[in-house]
This record gives sequence, C-alpha cells and structure tokens, in this order.
Amino acid sequence: MQIETPEKHDISSLKSSMQVQIGSICCAIKCQDTEALDGLRQRYLDFLTERPADVSIELSGVDQLKADELEEALSETRFIHGENNFRTTSSIISGTYDLARGTIKISGEKNLANPDLPINHLNRLLSLGYYTACKIRYDDKPPAFLVHSCGIIRHGQAMLFAGPSETGKTTVGRLCGNRYGQVINDEMVLVSRLPGDDGRLSVEGVPMLGGLPRRIRTGAPLACIFLLKQSKRTAVRELDRTEAFLRFMRQVITPAYIGQKDKRAVYALIAEFSDAVTGLTPFFELEFKLDRQSLWRAVEETERMLKKRNNKNE
Amino acid sequence: MNNRIMKANDLISRQIGSETVVIKDNGLSIHVLNKTAAYIWELCDGTYGVDGITGKICERFEVDSDQANADVRATVDQLLEIGLLNQLEV
Repeated sequence: MQIETPEKHDISSLKSSMQVQIGSICCAIKCQDTEALDGLRQRYLDFLTERPADVSIELSGVDQLKADELEEALSETRFIHGENNFRTTSSIISGTYDLARGTIKISGEKNLANPDLPINHLNRLLSLGYYTACKIRYDDKPPAFLVHSCGIIRHGQAMLFAGPSETGKTTVGRLCGNRYGQVINDEMVLVSRLPGDDGRLSVEGVPMLGGLPRRIRTGAPLACIFLLKQSKRTAVRELDRTEAFLRFMRQVITPAYIGQKDKRAVYALIAEFSDAVTGLTPFFELEFKLDRQSLWRAVEETERMLKKRNNKNE
Repeated sequence: MNNRIMKANDLISRQIGSETVVIKDNGLSIHVLNKTAAYIWELCDGTYGVDGITGKICERFEVDSDQANADVRATVDQLLEIGLLNQLEV
C-alpha cells in the first residue's frame, strides 16, 4: 500500500495538545480535557518536544464505567475493525483513522488511561502511535523497535534486562538506584542499529510508563541482554543463538500500525529484528533472586567476561 | 503416502545459526528444525512426494535409500502433524 507523504502537524501553539518524542518519531496528543492532558504532560515531561508531529492522536473520554466495571468489560472486549475505523464489542473504546493524513481519533472510557490497570493502555496507545508514525514516515520497516525491558546504562554502555511482566524488570531498576548505573526506563526501550556501523546496536529511552517514576531520554550502545527468570538463586548462563532468538522475540513489542491487517508481515518484522539482535549481541539468562548484592555481582562478572572476550577478539 | 507435499501457507522461517526457526499462526507456535528436517522441509515445494524427496536426498548424500525413505517419511509425518506441510490432492 502506497501512502502519501503526510502533512506535518504543527500544533505546538494549541493548549489542548502536546508532542511526545519517541526515538526519531514525534506523536502529538490532543485532548480537550485539560486536566487529563496536564496529567499526561507531567508523565511525559522529559519527552515533550516542539517538533512537528508525524502522527496526531486525538483523545476524547467518557466516564460511564466504574473501575471494577471497566475491568470486567475489558476481559470480554473484542476489537471489530472496519474500513479506517474500529470499535469494541463492549463499547468501551472506538476510533477512526486516516493514515494518509497521519491522524487517529480515539474515544473511550477515561479510566483506560489509568496506568495502574493490569494492562497499561497508555503504553499501548503510544506504541501504536509510534509504529503508525513509522509506517507513515518509513513505510517498509521501523528504524527502531520497542523492546519490553529495563534499560540500564553502565560505563557508557546499555544493558537490557528483558522479560515478561512480573519477572523483575522494575526490581532490577530499583536495585540499580543511582549507584550501579542509570536506569533509562524499567519497562520498555527502543533498540536500533547505529547508523553507519553494521556491527552495533543502540538503546534509547522512551516515555512509556513503568513502575519507576523517572524515565530518561538518553541512549547508549547496547552491550548485552539479560533475559530474566525469577529463581531462588542468582546465576548467569549464556544462551545459544536459537534459544536467545526464541525468547527475545517474545519481548519485542508487536510492530503493528493502526489498521494493519497483515499479521504475517508483523511477525516477519519481529523475526527479522530478533535475528539481527541475536546475531550482534551476547544474550544471557539471568536467574535472579531479587537481592541487590548477588544481582550486581553476577552482572559485574558478566561484564568482566565480555571485556576479556572482546579484548581477545581484537 | 506419496502425494506431493508443500509447505503450509503463511509461515515465516529464518535460519538462526545451524537451525531453522519456523513461525506459524502469527507467532502462536514456533518450531525449530534441525538441518535434516529443514532440508527436507525446503524440498517440499509441491513438486515431490516422499519418494521424490528421498531421491533428491540420495542424489546429494551417500545414504542407503531404504533408510533415507524411512527417515523422510518420519520427518514428513511429523511436519504434517504440526502443520508445517500440506499434502496436495492428486
């Protein structure tokens, strides 16, 4: 599908909107509810920008369901997709979109923006906005992919602690504090190839919300990836490429843009990206008993081993 | 069973190291094929049945044809069972 170059939406002068930077992409969020928008502005403070938006998301909220009613409705909700629109079986959310113009309009229950719900719908919305803008700007494939992981910069290099919910990403971030490194995000980061360098990947902070209050808009070359596994002991095991690929691809946030119907293309992108990352980066399984001392001892031992290996290869 | 055999539709495959990973059902199932299984799977392009694939393998490798036929049959059965292959109606 060929998509026209979108108009750039410079809405910085409007009070009812803000622009959020996610990697090379800028998403505008428009909302007439100034209180709700102020809340979002506070959450995304470090990522606000005045750049023209690649995609514009217009939100409008209704307040019909209580928190418990919403949770019940969510469990039964199925999406129904039409031509440039979608709705849900439970009527809690609906929307229209125009990819050529780079606009998405979503109307839904206000409580969906509550980050304490079991699924963080704000993160989903931003991820969707990011990949939709990538589709508009880059067409074939996104320049960077969102990965479900806690990103920490140590000694100028980033390491990722990846894994599904409840495996300890936020705990790793908490146990890092300011002493063992700089946590850029404890939930999600962007991973991309460094331009002009075919052998390295870089990691960048994103505004998506995690369990820790601070998210940082900075980046660093990727040193290694730990796949987390909760355990009664702390131990590190290097993974072979196939195991790393199979486990890592589950941590890549599905790169689907709004209205995308070709699911095979989405999984082909995930497979291609995971193949590239596992070919360029050492992967380790980190069994982890949630204590600071053993965690950082294991990480430091891994760093020493990698340094030795790199020196030998040079 | 000597119907022609073909890879199922909508699969994604990638060579990862020495193995082939096949992703099916939009990521809901993922299978790892060793070299032999991947070679047999690649030959399943709708041109051959088990005997034809066995012939191709015997052309390329020095193997006993009866043993090769049994191995191909077993592998094809497994790949059919997990949905990575379809049999074409004659």
